[in-house]
Amino acid sequence: MSRIRVGLEIHLQLNTQHKLFCNCPDPQAGQGRVEFRRVLRATAGELGTLDPAAEFEMRKNVVIDYVSEEGTSCLVEADEEPPHPLNEEALRTAIITANIFQSDIMDEIHVMRKTVIDGSNTAGFQRTAVVALGGAFGYKGTSVGVQSICLEEDAARLIERTAAGPKYDLDRLGIPLVEIALEPVEMKSEDVQSMAESLGRTLKLTGLFASGLGTIRQDVNVSVGESGIVEVKGVQKLETISKVISYEQGRQLWLVELAEILKQRGVSEKDFEGEPLDITDTLGEGLKGNLRAFCLRAPGFSGLLKRETVKDGRLGKDLADISRFMGFNGVIHSDELPAYNIDEAAMERISAAMNIRDGDAYIILKGEREAAISCLKSLRARLMMALRGPPSETRMAMADGSTRFLRPRPGSSRMYPETDIPTTVVSETMKREFSLQIKDWDQTVKEFMEKYQLSRDLAVNILDSDYLNWFTEAMERYDMPPSIVATTLTEVAIMLRREGLGQLQRDSVFEVFDLLNKGSIGKEAIAEILRISLKDGLSVKESIKRLGLTGISTDDLRTIISEELEKLKGMDNKKAYGILMGRVMERVRGKIDGSIVNEEVRRKLGI
Amino acid sequence: MNTIDFKPGDLVRIKVKSQSYEGLVMPRTQYEGPEHITIKLKNGYNIGLSLNRILESSVIKRGDEAKGSEATVIPSEGGQVHGDILLLSTGGTIASRVDYRTGAVKPAFSSKELAALIPELGSIASFSIRSLMSVLSENIRPSDWTMIAKAVQEAFLAGFRGVVIAHGTDTMHYTAAALSFALENPPGPVVLVGSQRSSDRPSSDAATNLIGAFKFASSSRSRGVFIAMHSGLSDDSIAIHLGVRVRKNHTSRRNAFHSVNRRPVAYIKGLTLNENTVIGGKGEFIVRPNFDDRAALVKFFPGMKGSYFKFLVDEGIKAIIIEGGGLGHVSEDLIQPITEGIKKGVFFGMTSQCIWGSVNLNVYETGRDLLSAGVVPLGDMLSEVALAKSMWVLGNGLNATGQMPLDLRGEVTGRRWLSVEQD
Repeated sequence: MSRIRVGLEIHLQLNTQHKLFCNCPDPQAGQGRVEFRRVLRATAGELGTLDPAAEFEMRKNVVIDYVSEEGTSCLVEADEEPPHPLNEEALRTAIITANIFQSDIMDEIHVMRKTVIDGSNTAGFQRTAVVALGGAFGYKGTSVGVQSICLEEDAARLIERTAAGPKYDLDRLGIPLVEIALEPVEMKSEDVQSMAESLGRTLKLTGLFASGLGTIRQDVNVSVGESGIVEVKGVQKLETISKVISYEQGRQLWLVELAEILKQRGVSEKDFEGEPLDITDTLGEGLKGNLRAFCLRAPGFSGLLKRETVKDGRLGKDLADISRFMGFNGVIHSDELPAYNIDEAAMERISAAMNIRDGDAYIILKGEREAAISCLKSLRARLMMALRGPPSETRMAMADGSTRFLRPRPGSSRMYPETDIPTTVVSETMKREFSLQIKDWDQTVKEFMEKYQLSRDLAVNILDSDYLNWFTEAMERYDMPPSIVATTLTEVAIMLRREGLGQLQRDSVFEVFDLLNKGSIGKEAIAEILRISLKDGLSVKESIKRLGLTGISTDDLRTIISEELEKLKGMDNKKAYGILMGRVMERVRGKIDGSIVNEEVRRKLGI
Repeated sequence: MNTIDFKPGDLVRIKVKSQSYEGLVMPRTQYEGPEHITIKLKNGYNIGLSLNRILESSVIKRGDEAKGSEATVIPSEGGQVHGDILLLSTGGTIASRVDYRTGAVKPAFSSKELAALIPELGSIASFSIRSLMSVLSENIRPSDWTMIAKAVQEAFLAGFRGVVIAHGTDTMHYTAAALSFALENPPGPVVLVGSQRSSDRPSSDAATNLIGAFKFASSSRSRGVFIAMHSGLSDDSIAIHLGVRVRKNHTSRRNAFHSVNRRPVAYIKGLTLNENTVIGGKGEFIVRPNFDDRAALVKFFPGMKGSYFKFLVDEGIKAIIIEGGGLGHVSEDLIQPITEGIKKGVFFGMTSQCIWGSVNLNVYETGRDLLSAGVVPLGDMLSEVALAKSMWVLGNGLNATGQMPLDLRGEVTGRRWLSVEQD
């Protein structure tokens, strides 16, 4: 079995007051919403050395729509104003992070522009700077090398992608991120995942980073044997890391095998000569407007385009994704024929027209001439790469751990100095002073258990949770049993998420805590209220009303107890306790805390 | 010891306490101190290292002598001119490319290179490029206006249909006004164009502005001088402003240029030209390219001293354009020194610092005092336009008091419509 090497890149959003290069967000701002539309172009004059990823993106001509709102973005995000100087608070955090890993902090920070022309950055580049290089992270007695620690700006948030192009919200653009890139390791996928968990916990305990879903993202670089590095972007959940690694391993091993098969079939680069041909008339299919059908021969690929060893890990899928990326609706390849209105007779005609021999496959693409031919040339380039095994590329992680082609892997020619931002000098004093004693995880769990009287499981869960800061905030604000708050933010949150109801809403959660704290609702009602509120988009008050849970006063409770006790007249008080509790709770469940009921019942019974 | 003998372009290896770095030595700007060295790592990132921290260093490979960061002057294309459009370059970075090795920006320029960068240009019109000068727009002088005006004249004589002038944006509206006066009835459109985002970034507005300028210059029937720039936040609409009715109103936005007291002449949406009106008539093409820079633009402010005017007059200034408050007022203690200046033969013209609207010296007493002193109200002429016009009037031996208030090129609008907003 070929050895597999995995490199992790962890991106953490910083908890800074402002974005990296401007003074957003502004909590006071109104709702002013503006939409606009842009086109990005690759910039280098020397087209020969244009960055491969940028050049690839350039082949499609998409317009990009943006949404800006006053509270979260300003002229800087819209690329209508030069960036402000580097956020010092963010730099401080990055230096502290570098010190955690004994990384060599640079004496000067040079902000660079990294070309990204998929529209996720209005400027056409992401601003990024190396803060430190080298260092190490201790994991289970071994030392994992740190490659680099960078400070960068987060990209805009994709809202939707239509045939016309992508649409982004600028709210996330410019939020400072620290990127920690680890040296590639040869470890089992589960170990890589638990290493990532351990690293994440160490960083979380610093309190320097934002929490919540999407505030920490992993890129996973996987390479099998001698082949190129595949960079898988956007692994949002820790649990997916090992799945992604296993998936990539399976997918790449198949591509290694594919190269071997092609070699056995005697396929070489010269077999790819010959231009794509217009086969519209051969197909005999009426196409609308300027649309034509074009065909590309795939020498020796018969049967290989549809073969897969992991779900969707077939080459045909990648070809379709490349075409989609370039604005087409996918491709048809001969491995899936007859289908799509192409019958055996049409296949024979195509084979004759394209000079298809035994063992060859072919690819059909419909579109306007120039664009379609340009796209088929990209597909031909991808087919040729198959002779050499898995190519170096950037892929996107799906929720189930599978990956999809995104773009070729960018090279160093996409870096350009950010001339609008002066170089920042980091003095030896700054390097020394910006440091932090890091906390030990086990020790922190122990302290948490003691401080809040929590079980180990609950303590670990809340410490790992995206809602840790809500927990500590609630503990400061209310005098409530910590276990109730912790359970709400972990077990209840997970349960509701599994029910497909998404994330907890901060305002609702705190409103519920508020009511609970006042004794207006019982802890039994928490999950129900949050469920109804998320499911039907109701406010907490509306949810309570819907559930018939309007709280009752202690006086009302006493009346109910008296009424129920009346019905049990003559019974021994100790015997009556259980029955009375049951009957009263039936009437007041969720409307008042159970412990108050207990207390009142006992007092009434004098026990 | 660290005997540092690196030149930009050298591939070096540098050892500090815990790490060793390999990369290209990069040139540093004059504002980056000599205590550090900039290294471009293999992955393209630049880092800065303190020379004090370097324990060991060695040159792996000497580089070529690094090119300076000065912009090289763009060569003309062998004097041969052909095509529909002449693109005159005055400097700035409307189409530049980067030397990745040195990090410096250098202008890209042959029509072929530009057409490769912006393929749409070739589909709009055939064109040639002439590099006239390489000057930042803040350094443009009235003598440069003369040079540009003559170059435009030559272009039309050589048979070009239109002329596009690439210009830095800071003073583009001054140049547009100056050319408007210097070039009377040009045979075709003369379009100034710039960019608010430099062309070394993918989001630059240079390409779309150039496309708009080319479209207008090659297909409009208008004759005159114009500015082509973004009309909004989006890349899908370019506004064509009349050269004497336009102003830069924002420091950084793409749509910094606004037509004042009138609508833009046209818009280009995508590759489609939508003209509101056709500018210019059938008159003869007359070029009067001279400018006399003995004119000044003075903004009135509370507390302004009369001695400022005296200073200007003593310096030999022949025309003073005042940006007055509101309808065209200055404080009453300034009337005396202005009167003295007028007596010495200096022209005083009144514009408003309000930008929108017209001056009117009849409404208040101060206005009437200014009028009787001999100050000439210039209607709704923009102050920058009035300045350029006064230099042109002086430069061509025309009578300032007679010519300045006249509407020669659309610089004075008789009617201002409610429907034209100030946005």
